[in-house]
Amino acid sequence: MTTPSSRADARSDRTHPAARMYAREHRAGLMDRREFLGRATALGLTSAAAYALIGQPEPARAQTVPQRGGTLRIQMDCRELADPRTYDWSEKANETRGIIEYLAELKRDGTLRPMLLERWQANEDATEYTLHVRPGVTWNTGEPFTAKDVAANLDGWCDTSVEGNSMPSRMAAMVEDGKAAEGAIEIVDDLTVRLHLLRPDGTLMFGMADYPAAVMHRDKIGTSVADHGIGTGAYMFEEFKVGERIVLVRNPEHSYWGDGAWLDRIEFLDYGTDPSAWLAGADADEFDVTHETVSDFIDIFSALGWVESSVGTSSTVVIRPNQEAEVDGLRPYADVRVRRALALAIDNSVPLELGISGRGRESRNNFHVAPDVHPDYAEIEAHRQDIPEALRLMEEAGMMDFEHELVSIDDDYRKNTTDAVAAQLRDAGFKVRRTVLPGSTFWNDWTKYPFSSTNWAHRETGIQLLNLAYRSTAAWNECGFRNAEFDALLDQATAIADDTERRAVMAKLERIMVDEGVAIIPYFRALYRHAKPGVLNIEMHPKYEINVHHLGWA
Amino acid sequence: MAGFIIRRLGVMALTALSMTFIVFLLTNLQPNLEKLAKTQAGARITDAEVASWIDRNGYGAPMLTRYGEWLGVLPAPLTTDADGRAIGGRCLRGHPGLAAEEVPRFCGVLQGDWGYSTKFRRPVTEVIAERLQRTGLLMAWAFATMVPLALIVGVLAGMREGSALDRGLSTLSIATTSTPEYVSGVIFVAIFASSMVGLKWFTGSAKSAVEGATFQNFTLPVATVALYGMGYIARMTRASMAEVMTAQYIRTARLKGLSFRAVVLRHALRNALIAPFTVIMLQFPWLLTGVVIVESLFVYPGFGDALVQGAQNNDIDLLLAVSVVAVIVVLATQLLSDIGYAALNPRIRVA
Amino acid sequence: MEPLSWTGALGPWLVPTLEAALIALALAALAHPLALLAGYRMGPGPEASRSGPGRAARLTGGLLRLSLWALAAVIVAFLIGGLLVQPDAKGILGRIATRLWPVWLSLGASFALVALFRRRLGLVGHLLGNPAGAVGLALVMFWVFAALFADQIAPFDPVTDVIAGMKNKPPGTPLPPPGDAAYGYYLLGGDALARDVFSRAVAGARVVLAIAPAATVFAFMVGITLGLPAGYLGGRLDILLSFLANLVLAFPVILLFFLLVTPEIVAMGVPTYMAGALFLFPLIFLTILWNSRFRTRPPLRAALIGATLGLGGWLYAGLAWNADPLGIVSMPAGVLIVFVSVVFVNAPSVFRIVRGLTLDIRTRDYVAAAQTRGEGPWYIMLWEILPNARGPLLVDFCLRIGYTTILLGTLGFFGLGLAPESPDWGTSINAGRGLLQFVPFPPLVPAVAIMSLVLGLNLLADGLREESLKE
Repeated sequence: MTTPSSRADARSDRTHPAARMYAREHRAGLMDRREFLGRATALGLTSAAAYALIGQPEPARAQTVPQRGGTLRIQMDCRELADPRTYDWSEKANETRGIIEYLAELKRDGTLRPMLLERWQANEDATEYTLHVRPGVTWNTGEPFTAKDVAANLDGWCDTSVEGNSMPSRMAAMVEDGKAAEGAIEIVDDLTVRLHLLRPDGTLMFGMADYPAAVMHRDKIGTSVADHGIGTGAYMFEEFKVGERIVLVRNPEHSYWGDGAWLDRIEFLDYGTDPSAWLAGADADEFDVTHETVSDFIDIFSALGWVESSVGTSSTVVIRPNQEAEVDGLRPYADVRVRRALALAIDNSVPLELGISGRGRESRNNFHVAPDVHPDYAEIEAHRQDIPEALRLMEEAGMMDFEHELVSIDDDYRKNTTDAVAAQLRDAGFKVRRTVLPGSTFWNDWTKYPFSSTNWAHRETGIQLLNLAYRSTAAWNECGFRNAEFDALLDQATAIADDTERRAVMAKLERIMVDEGVAIIPYFRALYRHAKPGVLNIEMHPKYEINVHHLGWA
Repeated sequence: MAGFIIRRLGVMALTALSMTFIVFLLTNLQPNLEKLAKTQAGARITDAEVASWIDRNGYGAPMLTRYGEWLGVLPAPLTTDADGRAIGGRCLRGHPGLAAEEVPRFCGVLQGDWGYSTKFRRPVTEVIAERLQRTGLLMAWAFATMVPLALIVGVLAGMREGSALDRGLSTLSIATTSTPEYVSGVIFVAIFASSMVGLKWFTGSAKSAVEGATFQNFTLPVATVALYGMGYIARMTRASMAEVMTAQYIRTARLKGLSFRAVVLRHALRNALIAPFTVIMLQFPWLLTGVVIVESLFVYPGFGDALVQGAQNNDIDLLLAVSVVAVIVVLATQLLSDIGYAALNPRIRVA
Repeated sequence: MEPLSWTGALGPWLVPTLEAALIALALAALAHPLALLAGYRMGPGPEASRSGPGRAARLTGGLLRLSLWALAAVIVAFLIGGLLVQPDAKGILGRIATRLWPVWLSLGASFALVALFRRRLGLVGHLLGNPAGAVGLALVMFWVFAALFADQIAPFDPVTDVIAGMKNKPPGTPLPPPGDAAYGYYLLGGDALARDVFSRAVAGARVVLAIAPAATVFAFMVGITLGLPAGYLGGRLDILLSFLANLVLAFPVILLFFLLVTPEIVAMGVPTYMAGALFLFPLIFLTILWNSRFRTRPPLRAALIGATLGLGGWLYAGLAWNADPLGIVSMPAGVLIVFVSVVFVNAPSVFRIVRGLTLDIRTRDYVAAAQTRGEGPWYIMLWEILPNARGPLLVDFCLRIGYTTILLGTLGFFGLGLAPESPDWGTSINAGRGLLQFVPFPPLVPAVAIMSLVLGLNLLADGLREESLKE
């Protein structure tokens, strides 16, 4: 299914000027295709139009359309639900995506697909967005879905007073004094909402497609969908047992707006965190799809004849000292020499090999921007293991006798990666003690451990990650890294819409991360999923998203 | 006899009370409450939000007061917002949106309310009832295979102490008690359930047994539980049998010219099985540990799994109910074994 | 370098012999019970019962015994042959046998010593005449010596020797060039973190045999110190202590561990306080022991008590509170927690056994005699009752070490045990069990180790029970 380029040409006068600029950059080789498509669709272009702009046909979608009917069983943690804005696991969103939907959806290739919005446009400097609500969408109560619902949800996303609401950081360009800025959200008519941003933000739509941005009925904002089941999606809960299983069936009372919703019934089955239990379940033919296949089990599932799908991401494991943490009245990691020594003792290919069996790519150096994934990645000098230098620095800091306690969560790849780092540190001559905490306790203090490993999920751009985790004021700044110069450069980079220019600043940011020894970032992971032959549209998503409306059997 | 049973029931109640208090104490330590707040309201909430969550949801009162609330002897206060709507408190858990005047003042064990499981998001009674039923099924099958096998092995071995058969069977039973469940279970799965070895006689996951236990999905968990427990009962039976076989009346019977078979079946067996009976009853609580391992190994959501999940998530009300059930199981089996021992053995009279 | 084969140059000779012995054993083991049953069924008359099993049964029994001996002989031949052949003709088994030479030497020496002085050694001497006991003793001693000589036996460091390219490799894999390591092969393969499975199993023996027996000793100290007075004096004390013991025993062990080992509780210092209480018992026990025995000899009594309190107090401060003024004695936090939990759940069972034995023994004549002599209650408990309860206690001690070993593994199974890089068997089994069907050796080797040690302890307990009954 390709779109003739003539149609795109006919509309080109209405094409966003920034998108045309991106297209030029892409043709000049300054921006890769994935990035171009992401940016252009974020500004309101359809992906067909975006492809047309760079003179390429949109790749044909899978030819086979799923059959109607059938049951699909998916192995996934079955987590309890709350207000969607407070979702802290993508699994929670997968559980509810069949009931409450999103304004837009991030596709595997990094582009956005309109869902509850029919389309959207941004003005030239990305300070004003016009959102066009999809006509004909109804709630499963029978009421129509209108601009009022969209506005109410946007208001809710900007509300910082809700415990655990993670949306305001994504809507930052509209938030003032802890809520939506006065006049930022304007209802133009029943099907149109206009947003007036406080400052330019080209990534706003990515935020609206992210998993906590599920659209609730305007009267139900702040509630859990498990309590009332009101949504626009085609499904409803039949059974909801946390930690055991969750069953969705098609809602017979509701006419769904889309042409999807092929399956009659979807079961999410909880097999705990032990991958060998997943394998036993697969061997016993108890489910059809894994949520995520990890490490050695990837090859094993493939050998069983299951279909593998993978996607390269910027998700990684960050092994970081906390510069502000005190150990026995001393701040061991406040000294840059100690931090550098730790990083220099590591050959990043070893955690890649032992931690995730080489399923990913080695990082360029110890900074949190992924090559080939992040559009704003800038290349700086590569990391090299240098044990004599590491020893020299550690001795100079007088910390050779200090015993580093390296904390990690108790699971497969995170534990193994951390173990591999610990082994290399010991090999270099440092004293290391490993502590492994169960998942239920690990996250309580994850930003405060003196020296620990944390897994970071994929984000679309590098600057998002740096803002999220390394800004002085960031809530998730687990490194205790507070550097005025870095913050100033971050401000500068965030304000730059053009990537060539941003890359110059990103290079500086990356170099500061390396020189300051902020963290050990050994690799960027590829994510894997396995499904039985015949399951359609279940390919692994960089953010683990599963939209049950798309799934079906061939 | 009635007095004896009443006294034992009293001890049981006192033990349950003490144990729940200890569990309550440990699960309600401040860091554990903070952990609970974070699992409930989001892992990344701030310290101030944690404090407000704890106060609002009725975890802020002194420990003893809250233990009284759990028991149902003290009223549980309700938190209301400025408009007088109920927003939190012990009695509101699990009933969001209830109007303030509809919320009961007391909601403890004495009122029949065992509380609300923060992990499973359901009333504790529902969780426990469902899980106990599943574990009961597992235990029943395990006992049904383990006990007869163990008795046969034990009787055969004890029949002729010191014979090659005795040596062989004894070594076998010692070997089974030396193989912990986490070893035998894993090896069973690898051999009998994996695609790589290829036998695939059974399944290595018992999750589908929730909908209906079949020979395929239930054999391995049952075998794993039974194997470890079998050796011990067999050893006890053997010892008891061997002792009986040297007793005076057996020798007399043999001298009277009765066949060996008749002696064993008619005279020795009944007396030899008294001691194993008590052991079998006392096996119940001991098997609980094994069940916890087996349930997590085979992903069977039973009582043991509820225990592990509750402990990992600091699910206070669930853990309290679990420990009450454990006390009842342990002490009731002790009581039954005492009564049964007395009933089987006419020489002993319970005071 | 080529990967090693299992048997090396011995293979062509010994493997067929081994197979033959195994087949004979299997046949005999199947046939013997059948023959026995058939014998009983077919011989209804009194003669049959008096003459014991029939001819067929005697035949199969003999075959069973013979094949067992043959099997043992082949295994010994493997070991001795492996020790003796040229280094480059050795297979994996031969090389392992060679690495274990300190164990063979010490085993041989200790058995020779026991055999030489068996008359004077009492119970232990009699054990050699009891097949179960002898095999059990040999298995246990094997692991004890392996733990003692772990540094000499293990070719690699169990924690820090991570050699790239050796992840999940099968047994006998040579190290990748440049082979500048101390040893050329991973004899039992590499684990998921490219460490030597053989070295970890041997080093694991040291961890397990350091914790399990010590924890059992502590549990016995607590159980004896409380169980003796509860049984001997009775009354309110007995009611209270029995209630507490039953309370702990009614706790599901796993729940108790979860409650004690979660990081939050550890951060509150609960295990440290428990250690502070539990580790006092050995001091109390020894003090009372000396005090009751040497009351008539004040200087000796003072010296012994002084030494106990001085040395014990020093160890106590270091172990329980990590407050050794000299900074020598300390226990890693993770080990302390596991140790305390294991002592805590074992002590009540010991208490019940000791109390029961005391109730039985206190009615004996020699106790009454001591009472009329005017001995104090503690003297009677510790020097009259306790020595006479030693048989059952010794048996329970052996069984309990085995149970504790399994318990340590259970803790590892739930991720509550020792640090993840610890080579102890439970942790290794847990780390490797997920991939057992693909990479069997990393979990299987420690599993066999646990099983053999616990089997040895159970057989030893069995032998001790039989021998002490004979006495």
